[in-house]
Amino acid sequence: MHKSPKMKQRSSTFQTTLNKKLSRRQFLQSAGACCAYCAMAPANAKLLDYQLSATEIASGTWAVHGRTEYFNLDNGGNIVNVAFIEVPDGIVVVDTGPSKRYGEALLDLIQRTIPNKPILRVYNTHHHPDHCFGNQVFDSSLIAAPQGVIDNLASEGDAFAENLYRLVGDWMRGTAIVLPGTALDADHEVVGGRRFSLFYLSGHTNSDFVVRDDETGVLFTGDLAFMFRTPTTPHADIATWQTAISTLDSTDRELIFPGHGPQDKKGDSLTQTADYLAWLDENLRTSVEQGLTMNEAMALPIPERFNALSVLRTEYERSVVHLYPQLEDSVMQIIEITR
Amino acid sequence: MSEFFKALKRSSLLMGWLLVCHVAFTPTLMAAQTSTGSPVDIPNDPFESVMWKQMVERYFPGGQVVFDSRVIVSAPKSAENQFNVPVTVDATALDNVVEIVAVADLNPIPHILTVRPIEALSFVGFRVKLQQGTPIHVGARTSDGVWHIGGAYVDASGGGCTAPAMAHGISDWMKELGTTRASTRRESPLSARMTIRMRHPMDTGLAAGIPAFFMNEITVRNASGDALAELDLYEPVSENPTITIKPKVGEGVEQLQVSARDNEGNEFGFPLTVPGVDAQ
Repeated sequence: MHKSPKMKQRSSTFQTTLNKKLSRRQFLQSAGACCAYCAMAPANAKLLDYQLSATEIASGTWAVHGRTEYFNLDNGGNIVNVAFIEVPDGIVVVDTGPSKRYGEALLDLIQRTIPNKPILRVYNTHHHPDHCFGNQVFDSSLIAAPQGVIDNLASEGDAFAENLYRLVGDWMRGTAIVLPGTALDADHEVVGGRRFSLFYLSGHTNSDFVVRDDETGVLFTGDLAFMFRTPTTPHADIATWQTAISTLDSTDRELIFPGHGPQDKKGDSLTQTADYLAWLDENLRTSVEQGLTMNEAMALPIPERFNALSVLRTEYERSVVHLYPQLEDSVMQIIEITR
Repeated sequence: MSEFFKALKRSSLLMGWLLVCHVAFTPTLMAAQTSTGSPVDIPNDPFESVMWKQMVERYFPGGQVVFDSRVIVSAPKSAENQFNVPVTVDATALDNVVEIVAVADLNPIPHILTVRPIEALSFVGFRVKLQQGTPIHVGARTSDGVWHIGGAYVDASGGGCTAPAMAHGISDWMKELGTTRASTRRESPLSARMTIRMRHPMDTGLAAGIPAFFMNEITVRNASGDALAELDLYEPVSENPTITIKPKVGEGVEQLQVSARDNEGNEFGFPLTVPGVDAQ
């Protein structure tokens, strides 16, 4: 067990004082307690280690899977999927994780997995904090996204950061917003000898960016697709999202790498996401028509077929708050007023 | 929910015990409290609010104060949007409720609203702006003068009360002032459910350069003009107030008349129709 010099000193002082007054057994018990206390230091340090690992999901394509949870003090925001790809002349990264600390761990993992190759490109799929708050550790001129993603991050990034500090605490230390330095609008680009197709969609947010590695056929969908994880809706437009899912469904690919959950060979992530969103929309529409309060709508049963999606009840409750006001404005009848 | 009420029951027992000890062993303190103008014992707050005593003195005055699991306050544990935190109060298990008062203890302006359910069920749904994580206490005063208290703790990121309303991002927002959407349904042979949503910025006066401007009165009357429910709204109610209440009605088609007023004297009136029992 590692002990800092300060700890050693504190234990020995403690020991001297105790020896005078306590029996041997009492002393041993106290010493045990003291050791337990000393052990907390390295254990705590370990708690703030993301312990990232990479899985090769296609040739030269490495996935870093987050937990399918909501932000909490234990996961430090590591709830997201990030990927990196070895291309002939370097490395391409898709999304950067929830914090500076995550970004550092990711960079370390990339360098251990693919030593001695330069990072040539970092894509941000959308502006949500779990996907791009690790930007800080990369050269901003290499970070690329559509202008819409950049604008969204510029206007909402600080508020996200504030909220994330509340949700995950010290994991966020030192995290600051770094905007992508490159705005993309072409339908493809060649990076380090590899061609990537670029898709500009929306629905999960008003700017969702999808990248396909044309060599391996891996489609990096960002949060337009969720796998065994309840879709999130803070900036969602469900009708547009459904259209985007149809577009992705008809896009040639070998494998889908969703924003959350395991990679998906058959397209189940698209089916799951579309099915849940359709139910969500219908359920909330009916609730608004019935004049239910948001709290009453939050307490409604969720069909059993969605039980395989993690964070189900929490995300559903969040979605009520996100979607109810706009549904009220579109569904509830306008009443003529006299003034 | 059930865990919450178990906790509440446990704490009620504890409070009862503490009360006994208090009365038995500290008569001097009792006397001191009475003389400093606190006529009733204030039970311990299960939410451990630092403002609890002040909330009781200011908003739940004049009668016995008891925590009561029949005052059900539904609110999310964590506010997804600090400008729009939904709260539903259901005190229908209590008889003879005269008024319902909701406060957010740690808001710069704690008082959210007061409802007098004259001929209505003791039920109200609303949304509130929160300045920080806070307990929300709701007191239902019964005709015997007792305040029955329920509550919820809502965690929130900051600033719900001091940011400009969304309306101020729209240049001609005044044109939409008072625009009303509503849904009215019959819920039982003797009661209706009405949800109204009215365009109003509900400015708290705490955002720089924007004076307080908020809807402060809503009255629901029946066709004969008798008030069924009166609501006093305060600054913390969310922009575009969205309120659900349950007026008592007869079995036939019922015409309700709603009148609302803001603190600058703008008045808004509109009718709502509750379908008859036959129409269900």
